[in-house]
Order: sequence, then C-alpha cells, then structure tokens
Amino acid sequence: MNRRSWLIHLVFRALAHRAGRTLLLLAVLAMASSLATALGIVSFSMGKRVAEEVRKYGANLVVVPNSARLDVGSGGLNFGVVSEPAYLRQEQVDGALTKSGLIAERSKHLRGALRLGSADILVEGVDFVEIRRLFPWWQLQGGWPAPGQVVVGSDLASSFHLKVGDTVELAGAGEPVRLRLAGIVATGGEEDGLLFLHLPELQKILDLDGRLSTVRLLVPADGVSLRVRAATLQQFLPQARVTEVRQIARTSEGLLAKVKLLMLLVTAVVLLSAGSSVTGTMSTAVLERSREIGLMKAMGGTRWELLRIFAAEALLLGVAGGVVGYLLGCGIAQFITWTVFGVSAGITLWYAPVSVGVSLLLALLGSLGPMISVFRLDPVRSLRGE
Amino acid sequence: MASMIIETAGLTKSYGEIRALKPLDLTVPEGEWLSVMGHSGSGKSTLLNLVGGLDRPTAGMLKVGGEDLLGRDEDGLARFRREFVGIIFQQHHLIPYLNALENVMLAQYFHSVPDEAEARSALERVGLGHRLKNRPGELSGGEQQRVCIARAIINSPRLLLGDEPTGNLDHGSTTMVLELLRELRVEERFTIIMVTHNQEVAAWGDRTIYLDDGVLVREEKKLVEG
Repeated sequence: MNRRSWLIHLVFRALAHRAGRTLLLLAVLAMASSLATALGIVSFSMGKRVAEEVRKYGANLVVVPNSARLDVGSGGLNFGVVSEPAYLRQEQVDGALTKSGLIAERSKHLRGALRLGSADILVEGVDFVEIRRLFPWWQLQGGWPAPGQVVVGSDLASSFHLKVGDTVELAGAGEPVRLRLAGIVATGGEEDGLLFLHLPELQKILDLDGRLSTVRLLVPADGVSLRVRAATLQQFLPQARVTEVRQIARTSEGLLAKVKLLMLLVTAVVLLSAGSSVTGTMSTAVLERSREIGLMKAMGGTRWELLRIFAAEALLLGVAGGVVGYLLGCGIAQFITWTVFGVSAGITLWYAPVSVGVSLLLALLGSLGPMISVFRLDPVRSLRGE
Repeated sequence: MASMIIETAGLTKSYGEIRALKPLDLTVPEGEWLSVMGHSGSGKSTLLNLVGGLDRPTAGMLKVGGEDLLGRDEDGLARFRREFVGIIFQQHHLIPYLNALENVMLAQYFHSVPDEAEARSALERVGLGHRLKNRPGELSGGEQQRVCIARAIINSPRLLLGDEPTGNLDHGSTTMVLELLRELRVEERFTIIMVTHNQEVAAWGDRTIYLDDGVLVREEKKLVEG
C-alpha cells in the first residue's frame, strides 16, 4: 500500500469511527451547499424567466434620428409625434449593432403619411416577422400579410369601413398602389390608428430606400444595465438617439437585482452559520483526538503531515457534502421554480462544481482554526491528557 | 569500547519557575539497557522526553547518536524521532479505530511506506500473529503493550524508550514484555532507556540511575554474570 492509499484508508477509518459526528458534518455541509445550489439555480432561472416575461412588454430600447423629435413608448405608452422628417440609415444601424456587440431582437420602422381616399392617414412600414417576435400581444383578425398586402389598425378600419379581403388604394408622391387588406390589428395603442405595410414597399412608395424612422430593440435582461447597453450603442450611432423605455427596463432590472441581492444575503447568512457549525464540530473533534494527534507526532509525524491528514478529512467531507448538496439543491430548485414560475429549472450540471466548491471551501475554512490547533499541539502535553 | 549513543552535559529543563531537570551530565553507551528510577516528579519522564526529541531542553548539551538535538526545529525533531526512536508508553496509546496490524503500519507511514508483510512479521515476533485484525479494545493489556512494542520496533530504531511500559501490567504480562524486550534487544541491537518505579523491572537493565528532584543522585551497574 503506498502512502496516498494509506492516507485515504486512515481518513476513512477515522471518519467511520466517529460516524455520528461525520454524519453531522456531512449534513451541515450538504444543507449549506444545497441552499447555495438551490438559490443559485433559482436565481439563474429567474433571470431567464424575467427576460422571457420582459419580452411580453416589447422593446426596451428605441433608436431614433437625432433631429427628429420623436418621443418613445411601447404598448399603451405614449409614442409622441414626428415633428420633422429625419431618418436613420438602415446599414448604419445594422453596423452599429454589430460593432457594439449588442445581441437584441429588433424591429425596423418607417413612418409616413399616404392618402386613403380623400384623407391623409399615418402608415408604417415594418417587417412583419420582426413584429410578430417583438410585439406578441398584437391581436390580429385575418392573417399576416404577404407581399402586396397590408394590415390596418382596428380604429382606422372602423373609420373607413374596411374589412379583411378589401383592396385599399394608397396614394403617395408617385403612382397610387392597390394593396389587399390581409388583417385588422388591435393593440389598444396607437397602432389601432395606423396602416401597416411591408417596409421595402413603403420605402419604395416614399422614395426612401434604406431609410428608417425608428428601430426598436429588445435587449434581454442579462445582468448588464440597460443604461449601459444604450450608452454603448450610442457611441456607434452619433447621428441617432438611443433611449430606454424606462418603465419596463427599470422595473425588471431593479426587481431582479433586489431579489438576487436578497438570495445572496440569505445564502451568505446560511454559509456563515454553517461555517461556524463546522468550526465548532471540528474543534471538538480535534480536542477529543488530541492524544491521537500527540501520538502521531511522537511517532515522528511532522506538523505538515498531521495537517495533511486533517485537511484530507475536511476535503473528503467537503466533496461528499457538495455532491449531496448539489443533488438536494437541484431538487429544491426544481420545487421552487415549478411552484413559483410553473416551469422546470432544467438540468444544471454546470452548477455541480459550484456546489462542491462551496461545500469544500466551507469545510476547509471551518477546519482552519482546528487545524491550527493540530499544528501547535504539544505531543508531550497531549499524551499526558492535558 | 562502545560508542556513546547519548551524551548530555549540563542538561536542564525548566517549566517556568519549576526546574524539572537540573544540570545533568549523562552518557549512555550504544546497546545498553538503562533503567531510570525515581519517585513522581523526580524528572525521569522529562529526561526521557528530552533524549527522545519530544521536548526541548532549557539549557545544556544533548547529543543523541552524535547529533545535537538543540539545533533541530520542531519538524526536524519529528524526523529524528521517526528515524531514530521507538517509544513504548505505559498507557499503550494505540489508535482505537485501527486494528493491531494498522496500528503498526501507522508508524511505517510516518517513517517511510506502510508494508503489511513487515508489520505482520513484527506482530508475529511479539506473539500476536493471531490477533492482527483485532482492535485495541479487543486485546488484553499485555497484548496491547505487545502491539505497542511491535509498533516501536517496526522502523528498526537505534533507541527504544519505555515510559513505565509495564506500569499497567500484571506480573505475568510484565515478565513476558521484559523477556520480549531482552530478546529483541539481542536481535535488533538497540539501546533501551526505561523509566520505571519498580525495582524488579529496573533490575532487568544493565545500569540503573536514580533521579531525585531533577538531580542524578545514584547509579548502580549490574554485575556481569559469570
């Protein structure tokens, strides 16, 4: 048997001999690790979940040209008025997004006015695929438009007695175009008063190829503040104004940060009390084993060799506590995410090293004081039972 | 003339105000069995701890095997103990969760590498070949002391220290342990220093020194038989 195998054998024997204390230490480490695991997984799942929830509220960043006095908003919020025509260049926005490294869902908008019958109406060119992703709350009667087709807001449809399947004739600066009405949209917002058509078609009608009046972005809540994200993008778009949709952004970020802080504090308190418990139990164990330690020193064990034995015990307990804590923590996390969010936390194998690490750190830090006692213990006095 | 395994000059040990060992000049030839007698608190165990490298003197010179122990730090003394010394305690001090074989192998672990065959052979030499897997709690006092002897000799020490090794044993076990030590000394050629209260036990040695209040007061040499 080589020295390492013997050391492991010795450690197992010592732990088995004090089965009660070993189980107590394991339980403390597993509990602390499981809580840290559960809260960590829940915190991570919550971040994802909140990001998903935020999607329901649409874009959280809006890019408008500098010279346009265009207020921002989403859903039922105020969008303000375009006071003078100014446009973003589509390729500049795409380039800025690439350079800034910002990963975000986006929807491009071009707004203008066209004649419908004898009245001027507000029209908006959009990419309907983007609209469906970013504005999932749009209620559409009929279908999404194919090229050459349009969608009209419910208020506008009522005013002009339009229904699905009708053909509308829109007149701009050039020749009038006839487009089929594919659907009627109701959002409860200003969209109800607009007519929507495919972006390239409106750009062609208005002779504004590659021009946009607004780009709306949905940046997922990933821990980086939206204000920072907006500022980063702004650097690459000096000719535009990047603005947060404040209510949504602040609420989701603020709430998430507070809940995460709460979880962190709870975890810290639990780890602190578990650490004290480990220290107490290990100190008692060292006290009880002082004769044994004295004997080992008398037989020629150096202080470092003795430390290695006790560190190996702590290490073994730490790893075992971490593994049990990880399994337990996953169960608790599943229970919490299922109860609170109605979804599974999923398999989070990547968190296993964190669980084991927490338990290991706790076991080693908790054993630090007792190990110093082992280091300093006088063999003669301990063999005399002093 | 045999070389000296232990040489002390003015060896002193104090615990605060208390002088446990007053300046002591002592030499022990290699291979001798030296008995140390004296009443409680006379400095016997202090002397044993000093020559075994378990404690450090307050003053004086202490050479064991030609090496000055005063120059060694704590871990240096530990290395000296495992290379040079075997210790037999009155209370055996066996590890309760290890069996007889493992208790002997523990000494090998601190010395070099645990070797089960060697440990088994050591236990067979002390007559415990049939009790290898028994834990200390399952052994009699005499058997425990024999495990303690096997553990003390397993690394072939040059110096075997006994701190009242028969103090807790009955007459039969005492004789058995002393005979065993005598046999082993012949085979292993180690030096024995044994602290005892018992005159009969002391008489097994080649020489007996008497300590009183930390001072060597008397010395008796055994007459060579024949």
